[in-house]
Amino acid sequence: MIDDSRPIFMQIAQMIENDIVDGVLSEEAQVPSTNEFAAFHRINPATAAKGVNRLVDDGILYKKRGIGMFVATGSRAILVGRRREDFYEQFVRPLAREARKLGIDAEQLLAMMARESATDVDHAIVTEKEGAL
Amino acid sequence: MSAIVNATYPTLNRNAGHRAMGVARMQLINKWTFLGIPAVIIAGAFLFSAVIWALIPDSVEVKYSGAGQAVMWYFFGLGIQSLTLSFPFSQGLSVSRRNFFLGTVGLFTVLAAAVSALYVVLGIIEKATNGWGLQGQMFAIEWVAEKSWFIQWFFYFVLMMFLFLLGFWAATVYKRWQTTGVLVMTLSAAVLLVGAVALITLQDWWPAVGTWIVALTPLTLGALAFVLVLVLGVAAYLTLRRATP
Amino acid sequence: MSIPIVQVQNLSRRYRDVTALDGVNLSLEQDKIYGLLGRNGAGKTTLMSILTAQGFASSGDVQVFGEHPYENEKVLSRICFIRESQKYPDDFKPVHAFKAAALFYKNWDEAMALTLAEEFQLPMKRRIKKLSRGQLSAVGVIIGLASRAELTFFDEPYLGLDAVARQLFYDRLLTDYAQFPRTIVLSSHLIDEVANLLEHVIIIDKGRILIDDDAENIRGSAINVAGTGARAESFAAGRTIVHRENVGALVSLTIEGTLSPAERREAQELGLEVSPVSLQQFVIRKTLDAGAPLERASTGAAPVKTAGTPTRTGARR
Repeated sequence: MIDDSRPIFMQIAQMIENDIVDGVLSEEAQVPSTNEFAAFHRINPATAAKGVNRLVDDGILYKKRGIGMFVATGSRAILVGRRREDFYEQFVRPLAREARKLGIDAEQLLAMMARESATDVDHAIVTEKEGAL
Repeated sequence: MSAIVNATYPTLNRNAGHRAMGVARMQLINKWTFLGIPAVIIAGAFLFSAVIWALIPDSVEVKYSGAGQAVMWYFFGLGIQSLTLSFPFSQGLSVSRRNFFLGTVGLFTVLAAAVSALYVVLGIIEKATNGWGLQGQMFAIEWVAEKSWFIQWFFYFVLMMFLFLLGFWAATVYKRWQTTGVLVMTLSAAVLLVGAVALITLQDWWPAVGTWIVALTPLTLGALAFVLVLVLGVAAYLTLRRATP
Repeated sequence: MSIPIVQVQNLSRRYRDVTALDGVNLSLEQDKIYGLLGRNGAGKTTLMSILTAQGFASSGDVQVFGEHPYENEKVLSRICFIRESQKYPDDFKPVHAFKAAALFYKNWDEAMALTLAEEFQLPMKRRIKKLSRGQLSAVGVIIGLASRAELTFFDEPYLGLDAVARQLFYDRLLTDYAQFPRTIVLSSHLIDEVANLLEHVIIIDKGRILIDDDAENIRGSAINVAGTGARAESFAAGRTIVHRENVGALVSLTIEGTLSPAERREAQELGLEVSPVSLQQFVIRKTLDAGAPLERASTGAAPVKTAGTPTRTGARR
């Protein structure tokens, strides 16, 4: 949920983006109102509005006057594209650094990645069990 | 800048004048303080006196009871009380000091007028019924009751106003300057009194004062007290103007 | 949008031996939620008292809705300020207090007051002087909310309220504010709890305004870097250090500004732990350090530390 690391409006914007990428909010779906965001996350409505408006300025959401905010067509593709660009910085680099620390070389790392991809389905079940425990 | 702000906010003066009335209504929200307790005191004092009158053998000519004063002393306490706690609360509800004063003193003025009228009426009944059939004397105090009804009413009214405002002002002084203020106030009153006595003694005015006191009528005493009431009222208001809750 | 409804210029309040407010300049805009934050005795209540004409200034000027509020019903009728230590008539019960409030606030919402009283489980027929601290706070909170005054002050509204009741207050405040926008000032020394509700933050300490900024600007305006002394120090070199804490060989530095992804990576590679600074931590550091230089000079201990003055500070070393 909301944390202290960054301005809240950025976190709100990111939550909406996440929901679009995950498909929770499909394109052309209506986004909750700023007051709903504010009430749900217990944050200032002006702050919530700032987060939503940022996505409007970005073209991810659009306003229908008197009705509300909607997810723009094509926004998911834009967001996924951006996230792919960030993927290397955000995930691959720290992964490689940690691997180096533990003496895992590139080949072993690749093997691990392959194994992970293959057991993707099993993995989901395992985590579910762990969660239940 | 302020011009812009004023333009954006239309003045909402609609209820400003009624806020003094609001204060009066606020003081009446709990009916006991201004109405219930005085009524109980008057009724209680009367019944208590009546029981005593009935117990005293009828050989005595007039059975005087000072219980009529009881409610007056309550009004002194009411003056204190209606300030100490109602004033801070009214400040919390954004009432100006002026409207608090007008509402509270205005309400008491009406109450004092009504109770005074009641005393006059009860006095007339008392005389007409030979002291409630018990030779009692509580409302028709000799020195006052022989005067016209208006002078009687005026005398009671001024007395009640005086006691209420004295309490109200003392409480305001306390609110503003705490114990020091009340101390200074009582000390100055004492100094004034002692000074007056000293002056009278030094100037050998006692005989003159004596004749003056004997010559006092309810009307002259009432008029004098009325001047005091006005002074107290103004003093209380001026003190309240800078008091904080 | 940004219409100033309160303007304070060079406001000071001196008591015999204490300066409660010291040259305060301030402006509050319409329909925002403000946090007036600071330690007990910092001057919060004094400031609010003067803004509502319950108290008096020693010098300086105050304008509310464009006019001076003193004895000004036109201004006062649009303000609600139930203080933390609010006194009620001795014989009053909550039901009486609400009736009284209804007499003076033209937007008073009786239904809302009753609903809130039920939600706060407030005994409406018990004398106010017999209520618990939390119930007393609830009376003030309900008057503040149901009055719907254009300028409403809440003075440490959560005192004695349990977690459920506090959350209830914040929720009701947000939903009602969304429906009826107005200017709200939340005075508080428990900062984390109200931080997310605020649009603008005013931090007051020893009668002076330390910070007056958008909450969002403050959030993420500082960051904590912790690690071995030399590494952390070299990483922070050239930055404004708001606060420094030494634990053995480890040092924790609060530095102003944000880190770029590259800098974040650099910190990680140095083995430094980077963590966010909450508004509360930020305020504590600012207020602690504002008083620190003097204390340190007198004890003559510890290295020179950055002084947190109201404006930007430079790292001294």
